[in-house]
Amino acid sequence: MKLQPYRAAFDQFASSLPANERLVRDAHLQRFLSLGFPSKREEDWRYTDLAALSEKSFGLAIPAGNEADFKRIDGTERLVFVDGRLDSARSTAAQFCAEIPATESPATDGVLALNAAFSSAGLDLKLAAKQQLEQPLHVLFLSSAGADRATSMSHQRHRIVLGENACATVIVEFARESGSDSLATHTFDIQLGANAQLTLHRLQHESAATTLLTRIDASLGRDARFNALCLDAGGGFVRHDFNVSLDAPGTNAELHGLFAPLPKSHIDNHTRIVHAAPHGRSREHFRGIVGERTKAIFSGKVVVQPGAQKTDSEQRIANLLLSKRAEVNAKPDLEIYADDVKCAHGATVGQLDDTALAYLRSRGIDAATAKSLLLRAFAIEILDHVNFVPLRRHIEALLNFPDDPQLDALIEAVS
Amino acid sequence: MSANLSEVRQLVRNQKYSAGFITDIEAEKVPPGLSEDVIRLISAKKLEPEWLLEFRLKAYRRWLTMSEPKWAQVQFPQIDYQAISYYSQPKSHLDGPRSLDDVDPKLLETYKKLGIPLKEQEMLAGVQNVAIDVVFDSVSVATTFKKKLAEAGVIFCPLSEAVRERPDLVQKYLGSVVPFADNFYAALNTAVFTEGSFVYIPKGVRCPMELSTYFRINERNTGQFERTLIIAEEGSYVSYLEGCTAPQRDENQLHAAVVELVALDDAQIKYSTVQNWYPGDEQGRGGIYNFVTKRGDCRGARSKISWTQVETGSAITWKYPSCILRGDDSVGEFYSVALTNHKQQADTGTKMIHVGKNTRSTIVSKGISAGRGQQSYRGLVRVLEGAENARNHTQCDSLLIGDQCGAHTFPYTEVRNPSARLEHEATTSKIAEDQLYYCRARGISEEDAVSMIVNGFCKEVFKELPMEFAVEAQKLLQVSLEGAVG
Repeated sequence: MKLQPYRAAFDQFASSLPANERLVRDAHLQRFLSLGFPSKREEDWRYTDLAALSEKSFGLAIPAGNEADFKRIDGTERLVFVDGRLDSARSTAAQFCAEIPATESPATDGVLALNAAFSSAGLDLKLAAKQQLEQPLHVLFLSSAGADRATSMSHQRHRIVLGENACATVIVEFARESGSDSLATHTFDIQLGANAQLTLHRLQHESAATTLLTRIDASLGRDARFNALCLDAGGGFVRHDFNVSLDAPGTNAELHGLFAPLPKSHIDNHTRIVHAAPHGRSREHFRGIVGERTKAIFSGKVVVQPGAQKTDSEQRIANLLLSKRAEVNAKPDLEIYADDVKCAHGATVGQLDDTALAYLRSRGIDAATAKSLLLRAFAIEILDHVNFVPLRRHIEALLNFPDDPQLDALIEAVS
Repeated sequence: MSANLSEVRQLVRNQKYSAGFITDIEAEKVPPGLSEDVIRLISAKKLEPEWLLEFRLKAYRRWLTMSEPKWAQVQFPQIDYQAISYYSQPKSHLDGPRSLDDVDPKLLETYKKLGIPLKEQEMLAGVQNVAIDVVFDSVSVATTFKKKLAEAGVIFCPLSEAVRERPDLVQKYLGSVVPFADNFYAALNTAVFTEGSFVYIPKGVRCPMELSTYFRINERNTGQFERTLIIAEEGSYVSYLEGCTAPQRDENQLHAAVVELVALDDAQIKYSTVQNWYPGDEQGRGGIYNFVTKRGDCRGARSKISWTQVETGSAITWKYPSCILRGDDSVGEFYSVALTNHKQQADTGTKMIHVGKNTRSTIVSKGISAGRGQQSYRGLVRVLEGAENARNHTQCDSLLIGDQCGAHTFPYTEVRNPSARLEHEATTSKIAEDQLYYCRARGISEEDAVSMIVNGFCKEVFKELPMEFAVEAQKLLQVSLEGAVG
């Protein structure tokens, strides 16, 4: 059987677990073995084919000890995971790490079941009413450095629960550098109480050999505000599921994203925003810069359920397709079951403006710099949603955009 | 039917039918059910050549291995394909109403509002003896037109006639746009299609008139499985109107039609549809399942295919008129107004496949959902690797009337060429209170105001329709929207 290696890895993993927990996890594994990975025939997985994963044999990752380095973001607390395990030496907020018990209800898809069967400790941020996180929490996912490691996998569950009026900023960064094939799955369960406010940044810059599957499920309480920013600047095979449910009246969700993946990567952003209560507002704006041999997918759905009157929703997706042998698939869906609503969506695919390039060239700016300036201008609409300055710098560095001193120098040279 | 009985028997005997079917042929009816025998029978009755029968059987065998598509945003009970009679007139003349007094008054009221002349009303309602007169009239009308068309070299005839007269053309083009196993319903249609139109416009000819199925009145009782094939040779032009131009009572049945268009170099085909099959009643009982595969192939350079549709009828519509833009500089267009009221469901849209260089496509879709209607726009724009400078603009707007209805949009965009430029835009809203208030303040009734606003909303599409159709479409919308307000 194809999925047999997963069974073998599980037996090894579960042997040390207490009997009752083993039972729960075994049920999830059985579920995974019967469901398998989602196939391309399923509408939600139309553009992302996980078939290759069934063929590979991953073993659970074991930290090798040689620690990968990472860039710190000023003014943040840190939680560092290496190969799916907490690195307490380099974490400053280890209190937010805990094992989250898997639910007993059967998972709806194979990836979730796999995650539930193997899940190890992850971020567990719980804030009581009116509590505020003093500094943003920077959660990093790294792999042990060194190339020649066996194909490995890690699976983690995370939870963010904010009580009434609580407030937090969380930066989640996936930065594995794996020389050989590796697989990681992450699920985030987010619950915001009344009037709670969460800002979540999800950054990804993994290396080419990695497969990353993440899933965020967020539920918003009355008047809660949820701001999310997603950045993909890495390589590899990446699929993000992002589900936001506006469950109570008066909620506000903003979901913005930029993907500028490395050549030869596969990046799939799959979002679903459900307006389940009246007076909800959602804004979704994704921009993509897609280069050589890259397949980029944006599939966003906005659902307005019956009774969710006065919903105000907007969804935009813009793509720059820069190379032959690159592919963009965009699918902004709307499903509306209420009449007193304002919903709009738009999708575009285009190129850099030749006249703008020519203008910059005529001012003596070389082609590469001109291009990078225009890309920066394209991306800035998304980056402007990042209010935390050290993070903004961190992101711009990841994207290799000219930084402020460089820009100043350019402006001086031209004028 | 034109086949005489002994001929059919002979054919049947050659093809080894079970004895049961022979009696059935004598009654000129086939019992419900689908099997290879039924297909052989249909083919034999129509005196079809061997290749066509093989084509049908091939499709049937593949169909057996296929399952119904489930992705559409529509819900309906499982269709029992063995309960359908694949070769019988949809309605027996003897069962029809004998005078207008027997016709459902609600239906007549609708006709009146549409401004359909009395004689025509009777014909549409299927009133027996009067209809014959009309058929008589129309035959002569049709023949004058036929003469004019023949002078231009245009062939416009039933598909079965074309199979006999021009087998070369039919064999060359049939199934070349919609392959026999394209999808579940198309495969079914390929196996059992019984009627349809064939149009051939020779090189450089501009068809002297707009072709419409309406003129072919003798083909009025077209079956559930129509098949239309239109071929426009180099530099030719044709405008084809399809339609059930008024409500036609019918039983709750499946329509699985296939339409294939082929446009060669510099040719243009304009295909307009006003679809108003019986939508079922307020409770969603009855109505037509309209599962149609329509596809145009812009095979030649600089060719153009334009689809315009006004969909107000049918209980369920499942229809995606598409364009394959194969030729360089070819153009595809899709203009659609779809309305769902009461419990109607529509999942409709288009596909634009950009293959050639400098291909352009435009999509304008207007959806109106009222009552408990559910409506989806589902569209695909695909730009293949070689399609340099492809251009697409898509606009789909939905209007919601009432809080029980739904409007959905599923636009797929797949681009593999970096010189492509695509835009997709969609909005959903209800009729603005201030617009309504403005009209009401000027003494316009709420119903008229809604109708005016809806017409304004659809104007962009209506202007693409031929004149008479546009007028009719407006009236249709008005009638279909009745009871949606207040």
